[in-house]
Amino acid sequence: MSASTPFQQRVAAAVADKRVVRAVHLATLKKVEAREAGMDQLRDFEQIRSLAAQVKQHTLDYLPRYLEQFVEQIEGRGGAVHFAPDAEAARRIICDIATSRGLKRVVKSKSMTSEEIHLNQALEAVGLRPVETDLGEFIVQIDHDTPSHIVTPIIHKDRRQIALAMQRELGCEYTEDPTELTMIARRHLREIFRNCDLGISGVNFGVAETGTLCICTNEGNGRLTVSRPRVHVALMGIEKVIPRMRDLPVFLKLLARSSTGQPLTVYTTLISGPKRLQDADGPEELHVVLMDAGRSDIWAGEFREVLRCIRCGACLNACPVYRNIGGHAYGSVYPGPIGALLTPLLHPAGGHEELPRASSLCGACGVACPVKIDIPDLLVRLRAQTHRSHPLAKRVAMRMWLWAMKSPLVFRLGQRLLRGLLKDGGDGWATDGPGPLRAWTQPRDLPIPPKRSFRAIWQAELSNEDKRG
Amino acid sequence: MNLQDFLSSLTKRGGGDRERTPLPDDLESAVRQVDGNVDLIGVFAASAEAAGARVRRTSGADWLTAIAGILGDLDATRICTQAAEVGFLSRARSAELSEHLRDSGMTVSTDTGDDELFSADASITGVSAAIAETGTVVCESGPNAARGASLIPPVHVAVVGAAQIIPDLCDYFEQLPGGPELPANVNLITGPSKTADIEGTLVTGVHGPGKLFIVVVATAS
Repeated sequence: MSASTPFQQRVAAAVADKRVVRAVHLATLKKVEAREAGMDQLRDFEQIRSLAAQVKQHTLDYLPRYLEQFVEQIEGRGGAVHFAPDAEAARRIICDIATSRGLKRVVKSKSMTSEEIHLNQALEAVGLRPVETDLGEFIVQIDHDTPSHIVTPIIHKDRRQIALAMQRELGCEYTEDPTELTMIARRHLREIFRNCDLGISGVNFGVAETGTLCICTNEGNGRLTVSRPRVHVALMGIEKVIPRMRDLPVFLKLLARSSTGQPLTVYTTLISGPKRLQDADGPEELHVVLMDAGRSDIWAGEFREVLRCIRCGACLNACPVYRNIGGHAYGSVYPGPIGALLTPLLHPAGGHEELPRASSLCGACGVACPVKIDIPDLLVRLRAQTHRSHPLAKRVAMRMWLWAMKSPLVFRLGQRLLRGLLKDGGDGWATDGPGPLRAWTQPRDLPIPPKRSFRAIWQAELSNEDKRG
Repeated sequence: MNLQDFLSSLTKRGGGDRERTPLPDDLESAVRQVDGNVDLIGVFAASAEAAGARVRRTSGADWLTAIAGILGDLDATRICTQAAEVGFLSRARSAELSEHLRDSGMTVSTDTGDDELFSADASITGVSAAIAETGTVVCESGPNAARGASLIPPVHVAVVGAAQIIPDLCDYFEQLPGGPELPANVNLITGPSKTADIEGTLVTGVHGPGKLFIVVVATAS
């Protein structure tokens, strides 16, 4: 379903797809457990979260200074830095690097920033065929799909769909065995890695002190992407910088644990400049593309702390809404609670004002966030900015709700009225409300109020107490 | 566009009156998980095994036979190794190792070109450090340490001198040089290559080595 379909329809379609809902449910719950087990290994993970939040916030508060240092260090080590104020500039810079050097065989490791700027389409438009090499992204690419989770791109796909796509696109024998499917992809991509000449990666952390790029991966495709080709291009948002090398372990101890529960990703790669003269192998050129693309607007406003995000995906896994609608329903590159903030903030005119409302504000995302972004609070603040975009009926309904919440009498009367008006759909849920309430019940179901309200039970209990007194 | 123009979208809107968060200086007291007062080899071995690596603890006398044994069990015959010193694998020990493996009937190459790496059954490397907390081995790039050596062959045998094991991840970053001595490419390797992209099923060896053996050599000295 495309992003131009109204949000409520996308959600309705997602919820109706029971197979996807079940797959996402199982996978996210497993990750939530793994995260908790991983965090529990740490002596005091709350203290480390506080440090991580503080280091990132500090870096943001002094961002121009750290970016300057970072750029100077990379250039001092023989790397080139390019500045992209927007997505279009980033695409053009990367395409130019490829075409001006005649680089044709392009491999990519997983990068959400490259998804954000739709880099592959831009490369294809200049006649290149970039190959996604992360297993999940590779399957997304051959199946002409889009990722639905920032860490696990094919969380929504089952093995049957993957098997069909592999058979159709690679001409291999049909198998649903995950190990065999993985090995088919390995063999296919191995030859591509052997002959590639341009590697494009993202960046997890940029160390200002040394100009080092830190990339955290599990499969090894990231390492191949940054070491096999003649030219390595790293695309990086300006918010990825951190001050010092010794700040890195603070984040490394949290990132993989928050994502998958691992103490560290299998490979933590530190890149400081291109291949040295005497090095046995490695890329001759290193290009770092520093991209703004809406980040400085976020930075200058009241939502700066959103830029602390390290893209671990923990808030997606923790979110009961994400778990029930999956990533595609958000209609944005970044789904889940953090996506509900980032997407409308990065693209204020993009028509994403529904996203911050796609949350029950239960707070699980804020608790899971390794850099302590107060996601629920920011969601509420973002909602407040866009409440005028609600349809009139909904605004009327919310007014009535406000009125009822302020007056015990109106609340009690409203409760009685509702009990009479809400019709049980047969399973204890009302799917349609009367009058202005329809604006609320149209995308949601309401539980049928019980025969006796909590207040009535409370009253009765109190008078019993008095009698027993 | 140059740096100053690029940064102007930030500097122009400085928000100078905004409260700024200070940079915390004491990270270690919260971040450190392992200190030097533990059985470092034991902690290292347990963490590395938990990450899916296989650890062999050997003495100075039997490390050669241990490596030959690992490779023999895998029926590996084409072996890539390094020519010069990295960590425990000094030039002399590398030569000794090559000779021992050749005597065991294996083909040993000290060349780490594409033809060798892509056709090798296994590679053997020294390491720059090993981290007890996480069971990590560290490979730094250099003239005799190809990035591909610990990455391309399906089996990686890392040889660690017991004295190279440091307690905590933060110890490694604390000692990394900041100047030109900082290697262009450093890999902290924690277990074999992994993916769980297909229905959350763990599969090893998706792009990097599917098997990681770590031979810890405790020498008497």
